[in-house]
Amino acid sequence: MIFQITCFLVAMLAELGGLMAQTPQDPKFIKQAALEIDRQIATFYRNHNLAVPPVTDDATFLRRAFLVSVGRVPTTEEALDFLEINDPTKREALVTYLLKSPGYSSHMTNWAFDLLRVTDRSVGNSGTNEPYRNWVRNAIADNMPWNELTNQLIASSGDGWDAKTAAVGYYTRDRGMPLDNLSNTMRVFLGSHMECAQCHDDPFGTTERHDFYELAAFTHGQEPLKQNFMQPLWDEYNKDKNHNTEEYRVAQVLWDRIYGMSLGGGGSGQIDLPTDYQYKNGKPGDSVGAHTPFGQAIRMSDKHPEKDGRKKLATWMVNKTGDQFSTVIANRMWKRVMGKGVYEPVDVYIPTAQSSNPELIGCLSKLMIDLNYDLRAYQNVLLMTRTFQFATNPNPSTIEGGDDFHGRKIERLSSEQIWDSLITLAVGDPDQQPRRTLDNRIFVGNEPVLVGKKTMNQLSKEVLALNSTIEVRSYFKTLMGEIQKAGGTKDEGTSMMMKQTRSYKNDAKVRASELPSPPSRGHFLYLFGSSDREVVDASSCEPNVGQVLSLMNGFVQRELVNQPNAHLYQSLKGTTSDKEKIRRLYIAILSRPPTDGEMSWMLDEVKKQGDEGFKNIVSALVMSSEFLFLQ
Amino acid sequence: MSSIHHADELTRRQFMSNAARAYLGVHLFPMLGGTLASAAPANVASAAKAKHVIYLFMSGGMSHVDTFDPKPKKKDVMGLTETINTKVDGFQLGHYLKNTAEVADKMCVINSMNSTQGAHEQGAYIMHTSYPMRGTIKHPSLGSWVVKLGGRIHPELPAFVAVNSAPDHAGGGFFGAKYAAALIGSPDEGLQDSHRADGVSQEDFDRRLTLADKLNREFHGRYPNADVQAYEELYREAISLMNSKDLKAFDLSQETETTRKLYGSGRFAQGCLLARRLVENGVRFIEVQLGGWDTHYDNFAGVAGRCLEFDQAYAALITDLEKLGKLHDTLVVVATEFGRTPELNVDHKNGRDHHPSAFSCVLAGGGIKGGVKHGLTDASGDKVKDGIVSVQDFNATIAHALGLPFDTVLMSPSKRPFKIADKGVPITALFG
Repeated sequence: MIFQITCFLVAMLAELGGLMAQTPQDPKFIKQAALEIDRQIATFYRNHNLAVPPVTDDATFLRRAFLVSVGRVPTTEEALDFLEINDPTKREALVTYLLKSPGYSSHMTNWAFDLLRVTDRSVGNSGTNEPYRNWVRNAIADNMPWNELTNQLIASSGDGWDAKTAAVGYYTRDRGMPLDNLSNTMRVFLGSHMECAQCHDDPFGTTERHDFYELAAFTHGQEPLKQNFMQPLWDEYNKDKNHNTEEYRVAQVLWDRIYGMSLGGGGSGQIDLPTDYQYKNGKPGDSVGAHTPFGQAIRMSDKHPEKDGRKKLATWMVNKTGDQFSTVIANRMWKRVMGKGVYEPVDVYIPTAQSSNPELIGCLSKLMIDLNYDLRAYQNVLLMTRTFQFATNPNPSTIEGGDDFHGRKIERLSSEQIWDSLITLAVGDPDQQPRRTLDNRIFVGNEPVLVGKKTMNQLSKEVLALNSTIEVRSYFKTLMGEIQKAGGTKDEGTSMMMKQTRSYKNDAKVRASELPSPPSRGHFLYLFGSSDREVVDASSCEPNVGQVLSLMNGFVQRELVNQPNAHLYQSLKGTTSDKEKIRRLYIAILSRPPTDGEMSWMLDEVKKQGDEGFKNIVSALVMSSEFLFLQ
Repeated sequence: MSSIHHADELTRRQFMSNAARAYLGVHLFPMLGGTLASAAPANVASAAKAKHVIYLFMSGGMSHVDTFDPKPKKKDVMGLTETINTKVDGFQLGHYLKNTAEVADKMCVINSMNSTQGAHEQGAYIMHTSYPMRGTIKHPSLGSWVVKLGGRIHPELPAFVAVNSAPDHAGGGFFGAKYAAALIGSPDEGLQDSHRADGVSQEDFDRRLTLADKLNREFHGRYPNADVQAYEELYREAISLMNSKDLKAFDLSQETETTRKLYGSGRFAQGCLLARRLVENGVRFIEVQLGGWDTHYDNFAGVAGRCLEFDQAYAALITDLEKLGKLHDTLVVVATEFGRTPELNVDHKNGRDHHPSAFSCVLAGGGIKGGVKHGLTDASGDKVKDGIVSVQDFNATIAHALGLPFDTVLMSPSKRPFKIADKGVPITALFG
C-alpha cells in the first residue's frame, strides 16, 4: 500500500515540476490546483492506512463526467467520439468540452433554483417571479462569480423588471416574510442556522433572539417603490366588489406586477423588537440598531435610519466572516462534483479547525478565493483531479457526517438528471434547443395587450418614474385609452413578439431548467423527487412505487420506447447488423458497449421477437438500476 | 427479485418461470409487518376502533384563531373573522367553516397543541415524524410507521398513499422505500401509469421485465447497495399492484358527478374523495395536503381562500364516511405545522406570523368522541392555558386510535432506538 501511495505522489510531483503557471483560470493553474487536491487526498490515505482506489474505466468516467457537469447522459455520437479515440489526454479534453457547453449552465441552474427557491409565480397575488428567474438563469449562464452574485441578491434595489436590478426578486419572492428570508440567507450563504432565534434564544447554540433582530435590522424597511402614489386609485378599484372589469385588471397589473415586484428601502439599520419579546435585554417595541452576530463587527445606529443596510450586510457576509463564506460554497461545490460534501450537511458551517479534514477544506476554501469565486473554474479543478476518477464504491461512507474519500459512492440520479437524460434519448442533444426567454408582454388577465407597442419592461420604467398620485391617475387613464384603442386586434408586432418569446409548458421535451418552476404535481420530475422550491434544497432521491410505474408504463414508453421518431432509434440508421444496433443502443442508454454475455441475451431477444425485440431492449435498459444510478 | 438471486444454475426455462412468479404476482407476498401488530398489548388492540387514517395536512401553518380556536371577545385578535355557532352547544368556529359547523358533533378539536419548531421545514418535519430534523438521519413519516407497525390491509394496493404532498413528507426514512408513500400529484389522474402502455403486449411486457431483471442482478452483484436494492423491491410491488383487481380504487371517474361536486373542486377536495375510495379498498394511511396557509401577508384573504376548499371537502368527507359506515374505523386527522400569531402585522396588510406555542388540530372518527374541544388557550389564543398537547402526544394518540403499540422501539440501521411518537403519550380521554 505504501508503494501505491508513493507512486501516486511521485507521478503527481513529476507533473507539478513542469507547471509554473499562477494565474487563475489558466489551464496550468487549474491542473496544478487539481494535483494539490490529490496530494491532500493521498496524505489522507496514508494517515488512515487506506489503499488507493483504482482509477475507473473510460466508459464510467464518460458517464460520470457528463452527469456531474452537464446533468445528462452523452448522446451516442458524443459517447463514440470519446470511447473510440486513443489519446492519453482525452479525459481532460472532455471536461473542458463539457464545461464550455450550454449544458453546464442548464444543470447548474437546477442547483441554483433549488438553493434559492426560485419559483415562477408568487403566492397570494398576481405578480410573477419570471424576471428574477431569468436573472438567476443568466447569472449562472454568464458564470457570475459567487461573491458578486451574492452581493447582487442581498443588496439590490429597484425595478423588478429591469435586467440590472431583477435580483430584487430574492426579496420580493418572500414579501411579507422578511425574517424567514433572512434565516434562509444565513443558511444558504454562510451555513449559519438562526431560524430558532427568530422566536427564542437558541437553547443548543449561542444565538439569542436579540442577535437575530440586530441582524434583521440590516434588511429592515423593504417596501415597494413609490406604491403609495397609487394607493388611492387602487383602493377605489379594490374596494369595489366588482373585480371583473378591465380597469380593475389593468390596475392589478400596475399594483401587483410593477409596484409589487419593485423593491425600495436599502435597509434602514434599525428595527423594533417584536410584541412578544420575552428577555431582559430589551422590551417589546424597543428600537435595535444593526449589529453583526459574528466575524468582524459592523454596526448601524438605532437612532438615525439609513439606506444602505443591505449593502453593508452583503459586504460583511462576503468579506468579513473569516473563511465562512468561501468555505460554505467550496464545500457545496465539492459535494456537487464528488457526490458527498467534505463534511455534511453542507449547509452547516463547521469552523475549519474542528472539521473532519481541516487541511482539505482549508485548501478548497483558499482555492475558491484564488479563483475569485469562479464556480466553473473551481469545478473544473475538481473534475481534473484523480480523486474524481476513482472507481465506484457501493458502500456508504465510513465517516459519519462526511466523505471517506474512498471511491465514488453510488447515488441515485437527481430527478432532473433522469429527466434530462431521457430527453436526450428522445430528442437528441437537448442543448441544441433554444433556452426559455422572459415573457415581456403585458398580460391583462390572460390576454396580452399592446403587443409590439409596449413591453412590461418599458411599462415598469414609466410607472416607477411617476412622482405623485395625480401623475399616476393621469398615466393610468392614458394607458387604459391605449389598451382600449388597440383592442384585441392582432397587428404585426404580435407575431414578431411571439417569435422572440419562448416559454415552455409542462409537457415540453426540453431541459428541466427551461420548464415551469416548480414542475406541476404529476410531472415526471415531481414523481422522482424534484424540489417544490418552497424550502432550501428540498429535492429528494427517495424511491417510490410511482417512479417504477412511470418507467415501466408511462413517459418512457410513450415518448421513447414506442416512439419510432425518438432520436435513439434515428441514430440506428445506417447500421446493418443486429449486433451493431444493440451495441449502439447500449452506448446511447448506458454509455458503454454490452458485455459478451449481454450481447448474446439481446441477440436472442431480437431473434425471438424481431423489431419488438429492440423495443424490449430499450425498455429493459432504461428500467435498469444502472441507468438510474450514478457510479 | 432477491428470490431469484440463486437462479444462476437454473435452466433458462426455470428462470423464466421464477421471474414471472416474482414479477407478475402469480405468487403474492405475505402481509408485511403483521408480526409487529400482534405484539401490541391485547387490551389496547381490542379497544381500538380505527383501521385507517386520513391525514389532512394544512401546509404553511393554519391560523388557529381564524378557524378552530376563535376568540369572539377579542376584536383586535379576530380582525375580519367572525365567530359562528355549530350544531353543538358552546362549540364555535371561525365563520369560514360553515359546512364544518354541521359536522361538529363528530369532531374533537384540540386547541392546546404546542410545537417546539417555528420554521416550516422543521415544523412540518416534526409533525410528520415526531422527531426534530437532524442532518444525519431521515426519520420515517407517520404513514410509514403506521404501515410498519400495523401492516397492510389490502395485499396489493399501496398501504400508504400521499396526495398533493411534498415528497419529503412522504418518505420511508430509515425504513426504506417499501414504506414510502405512493405519490399522487393529481387526484383526477389517479395513480399514473398503473396499466400497461398502449401497444405493449403482455408477452413483451414480461420479456422486458425478465431482461431488466437479468441486467439488475449483474449490477447488484457488482454494487451491493441498499438504495439499489430498494428499486428491486419496488418492481415487485408495482407488478402486483398492476395486476390488482382493486386498482379502480384510484379512479375518481367511477364516482357520480353529484358525489364529486359534494366535495368541491381542487386537488385537495378531490384528494379527500380519493382518500375515501382508498379507505373503502383497504388502504391503511392516506395523507392529503392543502398548501397556502402561510398567511404572513393579508391573512384574512388567505384564510378565506384556503377555507373555501377545506370547508366543503372536509364536511363532505366526514358526512360521506358516516353514510358509508366507515367513519367508525377511519380516523380523520386535520394537522398543520403551527398556528399563527394572534397579533396582526399591520405592515403586511394584516398578516399573521408563525406561532408554534399554541395551535389547533382536529380528530374525528375511529373511536374519537365527537362534539368535544380539548385543551384551552388564553384569552387571545397566544399561550396554552390548559391540557397542553405536544406534537408527540398527538401522534401517540393517532397510534392509540389504531391500536398500535406506541411504545415499541425499533432500531435504525445505525442502531439507534426510535418510536412512532418518540416520548409522546396518548390522550385516552378523547376516546368514547
